[in-house]
Amino acid sequence: MSNGSILLIPILLPVIAGIICYCIPDGLRKFRNVIALISGFALFLIVANFYKSGNLIYVSNWFFSTIVFSLKEDSFSRFILLWLSVFSFLITLYVSARMANERSREFITYLLITCGFACGAVLANSLLVLLFFWEGLLITLYLFICLGGKKSSHRTALKGFILVGFCDFCFILGVILYWRITGSFDFPDSPVALKGVGILSFSLMVLGATGKAGALPFHTWIPDAAIDAPVGFMAFLPGAFEKLIGIYLLVKICFNLFSLVPGSGASMGLMILGAFTIVIAVCMALIQKDIKRLLSYHAISQVGYMILGIGTGVPAGIVGGIFHMLNHAIYKSALFLGAGSVEQRTGTTDLKSLGGLYKEMPITGLCFIICSCAISGIWPLNGYISKEMIIDGCLETGYKIFAVSAWLGAIFTFASFLKAMHSIFLGERNVSTPRVKEVGLPMLLPMIILALLCIIFGLFSSIPLSVISKFVPQGHMLHLSSHPLNLFNTVSGITILCLIAAFLLHRYGWLKNDRKPYLASEVVHNLPVIHTIYNLAERRFFDIYEQAIKFVKVFALALYYGFDRSSDWLYEKLVVESGIKIIKSLRSLHRGFISEYVGWIFIGMFVIAIFMFIL
Amino acid sequence: MFLFIFVAIPLIVASVMLIIGRFSRDVLPDFLANLCFFLLLCASIMISCSWPGTGQYMHILKWFSTNLNIKVVLDGLSLLMIFTISIVSLSVGLFSINYMGKYGSKSLYYAILLVLVASMNGIVLTADLFTMYIFIEAAGIASYGLVSLGRTRYSTEGAFKYLVLSAIASSFILLGIAGVFVNTGTTDIRSISASGFSSKFFIILFLTGFSFKCGLVPFHTWMPDAYTAAPAVLPAISSGIFVKVAGVYTVARIFFNALPFSAGVSSVMVYLGIISIVVGALLALGQSGLKRLLAYSSISQVGYIILGIGIGTPLGIIGGLLHMFNHAIFKSLLFLNAGAVEYTCGTDDSLKLGGLGKNMPFTSTTNVIGLLSAAGVPPLNGFWSKLIIVVALFKANMFLYGFIAILASVLTLGYLLLIQRRVFFGKIKECFENIVDVPFWMNLSMVGLGLVCVWVGVSFAPILIKWVLPAANVLMQGIRTSFCALGGIL
Repeated sequence: MSNGSILLIPILLPVIAGIICYCIPDGLRKFRNVIALISGFALFLIVANFYKSGNLIYVSNWFFSTIVFSLKEDSFSRFILLWLSVFSFLITLYVSARMANERSREFITYLLITCGFACGAVLANSLLVLLFFWEGLLITLYLFICLGGKKSSHRTALKGFILVGFCDFCFILGVILYWRITGSFDFPDSPVALKGVGILSFSLMVLGATGKAGALPFHTWIPDAAIDAPVGFMAFLPGAFEKLIGIYLLVKICFNLFSLVPGSGASMGLMILGAFTIVIAVCMALIQKDIKRLLSYHAISQVGYMILGIGTGVPAGIVGGIFHMLNHAIYKSALFLGAGSVEQRTGTTDLKSLGGLYKEMPITGLCFIICSCAISGIWPLNGYISKEMIIDGCLETGYKIFAVSAWLGAIFTFASFLKAMHSIFLGERNVSTPRVKEVGLPMLLPMIILALLCIIFGLFSSIPLSVISKFVPQGHMLHLSSHPLNLFNTVSGITILCLIAAFLLHRYGWLKNDRKPYLASEVVHNLPVIHTIYNLAERRFFDIYEQAIKFVKVFALALYYGFDRSSDWLYEKLVVESGIKIIKSLRSLHRGFISEYVGWIFIGMFVIAIFMFIL
Repeated sequence: MFLFIFVAIPLIVASVMLIIGRFSRDVLPDFLANLCFFLLLCASIMISCSWPGTGQYMHILKWFSTNLNIKVVLDGLSLLMIFTISIVSLSVGLFSINYMGKYGSKSLYYAILLVLVASMNGIVLTADLFTMYIFIEAAGIASYGLVSLGRTRYSTEGAFKYLVLSAIASSFILLGIAGVFVNTGTTDIRSISASGFSSKFFIILFLTGFSFKCGLVPFHTWMPDAYTAAPAVLPAISSGIFVKVAGVYTVARIFFNALPFSAGVSSVMVYLGIISIVVGALLALGQSGLKRLLAYSSISQVGYIILGIGIGTPLGIIGGLLHMFNHAIFKSLLFLNAGAVEYTCGTDDSLKLGGLGKNMPFTSTTNVIGLLSAAGVPPLNGFWSKLIIVVALFKANMFLYGFIAILASVLTLGYLLLIQRRVFFGKIKECFENIVDVPFWMNLSMVGLGLVCVWVGVSFAPILIKWVLPAANVLMQGIRTSFCALGGIL
């Protein structure tokens, strides 16, 4: 298989396994789960094999047409593929235990098909192939959210489909413009400079990539999906996969398709986008009272960090951004899985009714706490490392404001996770939830593995970092040993100050609000102007999707009354009614009296006479 | 001598028919009458085949070598009419083998029908105005009789109205002929045109009288009443050919060949035509009775014919004459279908009928063919004639009339489709569930006419070349003569 057709396996294996799983009835559920797990594991092994065999390329003609279908795997895509397979395996494991009564057949199918398509997108060597797989992910996104089974699931599914679809549409436009510049759809050997039409193409493609990853302003479907979609989906797509492939595409755009120069306008644009995403999303996350919504807003916020890091353009920032992507996938999916376990046992995700579950669900609680600390950037976990690198990268560009926004994000992140941890696992046992047991091993195992990864990547961060810096331009120039475990410089000092500030904020809010941990963020919520903004945001005032739908409805109504009803009146009422009236009057003239008819003859003759004599 | 058989043989058979009727009620009258029609059809085809394309045949009657001075003339226009008359009369004859069984004495019916056919042949074969008038009257009397054969009070009322109104129109015609005779000293058509006589007063009289015979608005009022209550064979033959012969042919003869064709006559014909088209179509839309609707439809279609001829350009005349032929075929077909429906169901009110298509497939299919033909849908025959008329209108810069003609075509399609849907498609009513199809001869005549529709539609060039063009030439010659006679003013 040296001609590279082995590259088809990561695409075909999950898809075929997914189709097979679809056909297995619910009675053979265990068999189905085993097949899914085996395919996930097999995928992992195959991708691990790629590390040995070096760069492979596969070229063929697509379905006997002249369009070239080419796949390539290089170091970066190998890396991403590996983690795609890891996450799909872990989540399949979790789901196989959890969704015992629900529609797990469709879930597993969609999961496997999404995995196959994501592998295809990562392996693509040409923009057309990438587009094909990229768009295919939209369908499974819609189907996934519909599986949630709640009343508003379909609406949210449509919202997600339209928002992500719009991003994909921008991406297609960007690809077309790119084709105008370079003349081909293949990935070029050397990147194109960013000027002229290139800037428009770059912006559109970035919009597409970041929108898929879940950055502002196309993020509004994720919190809704947190409620309406199954939690396995949340761990899978917005938690892990979307970040992996979204940031993969962003890196490819910035460094393979175009050359992003640090300090240029494009770089500034990316950083601004990242900074805004961080701050706005984390502020929204702070006031959430439902753990799943809280986690989803944090997912959006962390994407901001990744974009900020990559947007700096300096090696430290880029490596930090990619590492952050990996870290986020690890701890976010673990957090979602933990929330899913809590939901399954207690039946609720509302912070108000949860509390003190540590005694009953110790392992879940421990994993949750570890991952919460990781996302907040506490030393020595992996989140700390990646955040430090990103902030270092920001400072290297010379604009301190971005670092300030990253620190601000760190404060609120830690504050909201303190709230989450305190409300669910620590604190007093809330009597409104019945006594629960710990969840079963299949559900625990993924969380434990992911939490362990958090710790390992934090302590021994040089392992992943050295892998990552290989495929970042000028990454080999990084002094990796200087960063981890180095607490004694200004940057880390300010970070630790931020964490302490967050702790104080949480404690203040907790004490002020009757020692109820879930109200700890109300101090921020109730600040004078902020309060109004929060209310508007919760009422979806700033949601562009909702506003756009309102506008479309008004426009459609105007068209309906303006054109459709009026032309309908013209045909149905005016013509028909007047015709009927004319016919009735004509018919009433024919009364049947022969004398009248004789009169008609003479009248006719006189008319002809008049006519002829005048003429 | 040969041409004389067109008039003589039907008359002879008619006179014999009444005697035969005493011995044989059905078979012999049927056989004789249809044999006669068949012979006439063969004769007309034979003459057409040997027709040189221009000129005319003239036979002068002799009675044992005494010159009777009765001329029988056949030119291109007469040939077209003879051909049309023979086709339609044969179909009607075949149809009435079964149909007229319900209406009483068949021999009486055949006698009157044969007189009608003989008179119509006489109208087209004569070159003399007064002879034409005699035959018109004879044919008219036969028509009144046929109308009243319906034997209901409505048919008697219709016949009476037809009689009285027709008498008024005929008196106008007679006045006109008398006036022409006084002013030119002759009633021979050729001599009249040679003398170049023209008078608006007599033109008005002729127009009034013959428009009545055509059924143009506002002289159309006899048509619906006469056609509704009569047995369906009467409208078939009357609207099919008699209206054309006594109305259109005579108008063409007199205004193209006898009197000069002036611009005034042209405009009057065009206006009468367009008004008839629109009013006829509108009135038809409001009807539910099959025969009444088809009567109004006839008014509309005759409007097309007069419009086409009235334009005066070669294209218009060709269109008008072709439409005359086509209308004879499809309108007879539609009326015979109405008769078939009446034969099986006893009523022709479309609101009471429904879903007959399943049990009467031949009738339904031929009705569809006739309907599409009448609406001008390719590739049937009506399409070609309407197309030529509309093109002629556009070429003569009468754009508004062209659009009106096209719109009226849509209206035609509308009301005919409505009838088709109401009567033949849809759900069948319980009282009609057990009806059977019509007998063989009725089917044969309807299918025959349908096949002629299709054939003429698909390959209309032979008809055009062999019959219509010579006819048009005759009329065009008349225009040219009048052009010269009027000193170049048209």
